[in-house]
Amino acid sequence: MQSFITPAIHHLPSFYCSTTMTVIMVSPKPRMPPVSLYHPAKLAASLHYHHPLSSPRPPFRFCTSLSPHSRFPSTVSLATPESQSSAGVGTETSEWAMQDFYALRRDVETTSKHVEDIRASAGLMQLGEDLAALEMTAADSSFWDDRAKAQQTLLALTDVKDKIKLLAEFKTQVEDAETIIKLTEEMDSIDTGLLEEAASIIKELNKALDRFELTQLLSGPYDKEGAVISITAGAGGTDAQDWADMLLRMYVRWGEKQRYKTRVVEKSLGEEAGIKSATIEIEGQYAYGYLSGEKGTHRIVRQSPFNAKGLRQTSFSGVEVMPLLHEESMDVEIPEEDLEISFSRAGGKGGQNVNKVETAVRITHIATGVTVRCTEERSQLANKIKALSRLKAKLLVIAEEQRASEIKQIRGDAVKAEWGQQIRNYVFHPYKLVKDVRTMHETSDVASVMDGELDPFIKAYLKYKYSVSISSCGVE
Amino acid sequence: MLLTLRASLGDLYVLWTQRIEERRPFQYIVGCEHWRDFVLSVQEGVLIPRPETELIVDLVGDLIKENKFLREGLWADLGTGSGAIAIGIGRTLGTCGKVIATDLSPVAVAVASYNVQRYNLEGKVEVKQGSWYDPLKEVEGELVGLVSNPPYIPSEHINGLQAEVAKHEPRLALDGGENGMDDLLHLCNGAVSMLKPGGFFAFETNGEKQSKLLVDYLENELEGRFCGVNIESDFAGIQRFVTGYRAR
Repeated sequence: MQSFITPAIHHLPSFYCSTTMTVIMVSPKPRMPPVSLYHPAKLAASLHYHHPLSSPRPPFRFCTSLSPHSRFPSTVSLATPESQSSAGVGTETSEWAMQDFYALRRDVETTSKHVEDIRASAGLMQLGEDLAALEMTAADSSFWDDRAKAQQTLLALTDVKDKIKLLAEFKTQVEDAETIIKLTEEMDSIDTGLLEEAASIIKELNKALDRFELTQLLSGPYDKEGAVISITAGAGGTDAQDWADMLLRMYVRWGEKQRYKTRVVEKSLGEEAGIKSATIEIEGQYAYGYLSGEKGTHRIVRQSPFNAKGLRQTSFSGVEVMPLLHEESMDVEIPEEDLEISFSRAGGKGGQNVNKVETAVRITHIATGVTVRCTEERSQLANKIKALSRLKAKLLVIAEEQRASEIKQIRGDAVKAEWGQQIRNYVFHPYKLVKDVRTMHETSDVASVMDGELDPFIKAYLKYKYSVSISSCGVE
Repeated sequence: MLLTLRASLGDLYVLWTQRIEERRPFQYIVGCEHWRDFVLSVQEGVLIPRPETELIVDLVGDLIKENKFLREGLWADLGTGSGAIAIGIGRTLGTCGKVIATDLSPVAVAVASYNVQRYNLEGKVEVKQGSWYDPLKEVEGELVGLVSNPPYIPSEHINGLQAEVAKHEPRLALDGGENGMDDLLHLCNGAVSMLKPGGFFAFETNGEKQSKLLVDYLENELEGRFCGVNIESDFAGIQRFVTGYRAR
């Protein structure tokens, strides 16, 4: 008696409990015979059907493995109250233990594939060669003549060794899990302890793989920093300005979702609707790394809300992303004569003639044509300082992209072409689709993308960037 | 996040109507102006320092970096108002450098003194009351630098200015006489005897026309007294400042 009341009460969510209790109390006897007659048969049948290899296990086993599946028996019990017995619950559980096993086997297979992919893309061969080369250098008799260089080499050596070790660990771990799966298949029985171990290996391994991938994807020199996003409406009047405003909202939402400190520091409104431009500062780890792929031109196709005929309209907005670098962390000097500094507002007599509350500074780096503006600070000097540090950050990023060691080497013509590239289409009409033209990643859920659901796009881009860099390394 | 108001809603409403209906300058309402990297206290009776004027401090700063004579000498800011330029320069001077700031208005002298105190520059910047060079009689010929943003708006233009300026800012700090040049010319004349040979001056003007007239005056009427006379533009590209050196 005890054995079948306990599971029934235990494994029902609280709101079913009272009903079950009542049923048991009102008619304890009539329920018993069908249980004892019917269920042993069902137990045997179902076991054979689902898993011919495994032998029936003692009842207490079922009870122990019950807990994770407590919800399922309860739903069944609602439909067919008679099945509420230890045997009935046990059957379901064993099926679910098997389901669990299949799920686990699938997990192990995917993870194994994942590990293979990572090991392949990490360029194990290359790493081995690097290691050999570094060890050769370290073994050289003149190695310690240049201490600083020796230190660097040793650091690089540890890095490569760690990476190789980590990749080897991934492999042994996934092999452990695979062995458990094979063993279980051959053993005709399920050892929950072993399966649990395999499950936990896979869980930990997946976490480690994610971390590894992320550090691989976000290993740029500024990826750890915060980010400054500036959005500029393209040509096309109110439609483009409204589109810029939508993008602003999208990025602010994204930043908030990531729990980054997100601030709109500057916003210049359009005449009718939307914005001409806006700047967002996002503070937090890896914000720049995630967002760096967002820079470029974003294109929208929709029925214009500003047009009485509701004609289909295409608009563009430009997005620029720079790392949020502090003045001290930037080791760049740009001579004043390379810069053109001006008010972005022209006209008027200025000086004592007017009272202005806001001031704006625009700085252009003459050689490259790279321009930044800053209007959010309250004095002109403060605006100039901030604009200059933004300009430096921007030039540093461009230099890094062009693999130039100095600002002087930046090719201005390339800057224009690259920063204006169209990267993503947002189609609202005649169908719904957001598609990244670089990664080909797409979704029809336009609304959630506009609500800041950008992670799939960001991840796809990071992976794309990584695979491009790997293949270009191979070519070189 | 909970923020407590620093003024009651009733007070805020009064300030709001002052801003909108009377066009009282925002800086007078909040009692301060951000200028360069500091915050200056301002009130009615004192000219609100303009962003263009920030450049004078840059000009001086660039010069004294390489010039010990200018870095360690005595400077004067004439018609200092809130004390903006004097404080800006005072913070860039060397250990022996000093600034004397003068103003005719007692309100300006009080406000400038307060601002100097706020930035702990009492030892560097001295504020004196009086018209232009009057309070500087005892240092005649000893100045290495002379800067000023004097009133330069032609009298008849004043009523046509933005209401914030015309109705609320002190006319004393704006009105430069018939063609706006009265005080600028007075300053140039005085600079001859006040500056040491090799001493530097920088004056703000109303723009291209005044700058050119002033250069013309310095080169012809005061021929041979000054050298290296130059016009500097502000960030908006308007020829805003006239600079030069007392000839040796």
